[in-house]
Amino acid sequence: MTAQDVTVLDSYKPKLVKVEDNLTAAAFRFMKIFPAAFCLRRVQEEGWTETQPLIMQTSSCNMALGAAMICNLHGFPLTIISDSVCGDLLRIRLEGLNATLITLAEPGVGSECQKTRIDQIEEVRARIPNHWWVNLSDHPGNPGAYGFFAAQLIEELGQIDYLVGAVGSGGSVCGTAGFLRELFPEMLAVGVDTFGSVLFGQPRQTRRLRGIGSAVLPQNLDHSLFDEVHWVTAAEAYKATRRLYQKTFLFCGETSGAAWLVASYLARKNSKARVVCILPDDGELYRGTVYNDQYLRRENLWLAHLPEAPREVAFPADAGPGWSFMHWGRREYAEVIRCENPL
Amino acid sequence: MEVIGNQRASLGQDIHDLLLRTGKGQSIGQFGEIFQGQIEDQFQRLRRCLVSLPCSSIYSRATFAPIKYARLRVRPAHKQKALKVTQLVLARLNAARIGGTITIESTVPEAKGCGSSTADCIAAAIAAADAVGQQLSEEEMGSLVVEGEVASDNFMFQRAVLFAHREGIVLEDYARNLPKLEVLGFDTAQDAIVETLKHPPAAYSWRQHQSFCTLSVALRRAIWEDDVGLLGRVATASAFINQLFLPKPMFSEIHSMAERSAALGIAVAHSGTVMSILLDPTDRRLENKVEEIKANLLNLGISNVLHFQT
Repeated sequence: MTAQDVTVLDSYKPKLVKVEDNLTAAAFRFMKIFPAAFCLRRVQEEGWTETQPLIMQTSSCNMALGAAMICNLHGFPLTIISDSVCGDLLRIRLEGLNATLITLAEPGVGSECQKTRIDQIEEVRARIPNHWWVNLSDHPGNPGAYGFFAAQLIEELGQIDYLVGAVGSGGSVCGTAGFLRELFPEMLAVGVDTFGSVLFGQPRQTRRLRGIGSAVLPQNLDHSLFDEVHWVTAAEAYKATRRLYQKTFLFCGETSGAAWLVASYLARKNSKARVVCILPDDGELYRGTVYNDQYLRRENLWLAHLPEAPREVAFPADAGPGWSFMHWGRREYAEVIRCENPL
Repeated sequence: MEVIGNQRASLGQDIHDLLLRTGKGQSIGQFGEIFQGQIEDQFQRLRRCLVSLPCSSIYSRATFAPIKYARLRVRPAHKQKALKVTQLVLARLNAARIGGTITIESTVPEAKGCGSSTADCIAAAIAAADAVGQQLSEEEMGSLVVEGEVASDNFMFQRAVLFAHREGIVLEDYARNLPKLEVLGFDTAQDAIVETLKHPPAAYSWRQHQSFCTLSVALRRAIWEDDVGLLGRVATASAFINQLFLPKPMFSEIHSMAERSAALGIAVAHSGTVMSILLDPTDRRLENKVEEIKANLLNLGISNVLHFQT
C-alpha cells in the first residue's frame, strides 16, 4: 500500500447525501475498489510476492474491475476469473487496465455444470506457473474492508437505526453492519436480494438482475446479522433506479435503486428512525440498460408504477412474484430453512 | 519553548548559582482505560495507544529534597521507575549533578491497572522540576515518563488525548476533557497482581485494527459532542476486544449486569485487573442504579467498590 493508493482510495470515498429528512444515501462512485485494494493488502501479508502472477476469482464483475484498477496502478499482472458474465462496457474498462478476463460458465442445476467450472479454473491455473491464487469474494478481507465506511458513518451521522444494502457476496452489508454493531448492537440490518438468488433461501433460478443475489452461498454472507430481508424483481430495481435519479439526481446503478427502494420505504414507515442506504456504484456502466427505455421495453422489464410497499411473507419460498419481505430475525440460514420445511 | 530552553541551558552552567528548594508534586491515578488499541496512522504505521479513565480519588504525592552533588535515592526503595524519571528530569533540566531523596506517598493500588507507577513518575517529575524552580510541559512529561517506564498512562495531561503509550507522544489532542462520568470501580481479582511489562503487548489481528479505526472515530465524536452514551459504547467495545488478550474473571456476568441496569458501559484496565461500570451523572435514576449495581456486585463477591466522578 503506497501513498498513491491512499490518494486514489480517498477519492473514492462515498458522499453521504441526505435524500430525505431521515434517510441518508451513501453514494459510492465505485465501491468495489475498497474490498479489492484491501484484499490485495491481505494477500501481501499472506505471502504473495510482487513477482508472482496473480489469479483472482470473484463472483462480482465490479470487484474484478476494482482489482484490475489496483493491480494496474502497481503494474501487477492480473488474470481475473469471473463467476458471472460482465457487460460490454465493463469488459472494455477491464481490458483497458491490462487485466485478462476469463468468464466461467453459469452454474447449472446438475453436477455437469459444476464440473465444467472447476475444469475451467484448473485449466487457467495450469497455464500460469508459480501464480498466487485468491478468491476475492470469499476472502475475509472483503467484509473486513468496510471499517473505514463504518467510521465515516459514525463521524458524519453518529448512531444510525437502519442499514440497508443490496447483498451479493455479503461484503459491504455484512462488513459494515459488523463494524457498526460493535458499538450499536441494536442497529437493524436489512438485506436486499432478488428472486432466483439462493442467498436467503429462494430456489435457484436464472436471475435477470445483476449485482444482487447469487447462485451459490458465499462464505462472507453472515445470515445472523440480518433483521429483515427483501426480494425485488429486475423491473422494480430498474424503475427504482430511474426514480432515484429523478428525485435525487443521483445517477446510479440498479443495485443502488433496489437498496434505495427498500430504504425509502423503511424511512417513510419509521419516521423517527435514521436510515442509511448503500449505493454501490454510479450509473455509467448501465446507460445502455437501466437508462435505456427501448432496452427495458424490448426485454420486458418496463414497469409503469413502483409498488408502494412490499408484501410480507413468512418464508423465503413464499416471496414473489413482486417486491416481498420477511423478518429474518438474525437467524442462521439453516434455522430459517428448518422453520420453512419442518420434518 | 525557546525562551524556556535558554533558561534551562543557563541553569546547568553554574550549579553553585542554582537556587534549590524542597520540590513537591502530585498526580491522580486512573481506573483502567476508556480505550486501548492499535491504530493505523496515515502512513499505515500501526501505533499502540490509549485514553485513560482518570480517577482523582487515588493519587501519588512526591517530595524531593535536593542536595548538590549528592546521590539520588528514592523512598520507598522499590519505586525505581520514579527514581529513573527523576534522574531523567534533572538531566533534561541540566541539573544532573543534583541528588537527594525523592519520597513517594501513594494511595494508588499497585499492579492493578490504576497507573500507580505512572502516577508516581508524574508526581516525581513535577517535584524534581519544582526543586530547581522549573515546570515541565505535559508533552515533556509524557515523553520523559515513557522513557522512564517504557509504557505509561496518559493522565499527565489535563485534557483528553489519544496517547501512544509506548512512544510517549500524543497522536490526537481532543483539546477538551472527557465527558463527565459517574464511575463504579472495582478489582476483579483481589489477590492477583499484574506486572505491566511482564505480559506481552496484545497481538491484534488486522480485523481488530479495523475495529480500532472505527472506535477511535466514535471516541472523537463522543468527546467533541460530549456524548456520554457513545463514550460508554466505545469503552465497552474496547473492553470486549481486549478481553481476548487479558481476560477479566466474571467479565460477561459483569457486562450483562451493567446492561440490565442500563449503565452507559464498562471499562477495563488493559493491563491490570480493575474494571468499572460507567454511569451518566445526569441520569435521574442514578442513586437507584448505583445501589442496584453495588448489590449485584456483592452477589458476585465484589464488596470493595470505589464510587467516583471524572
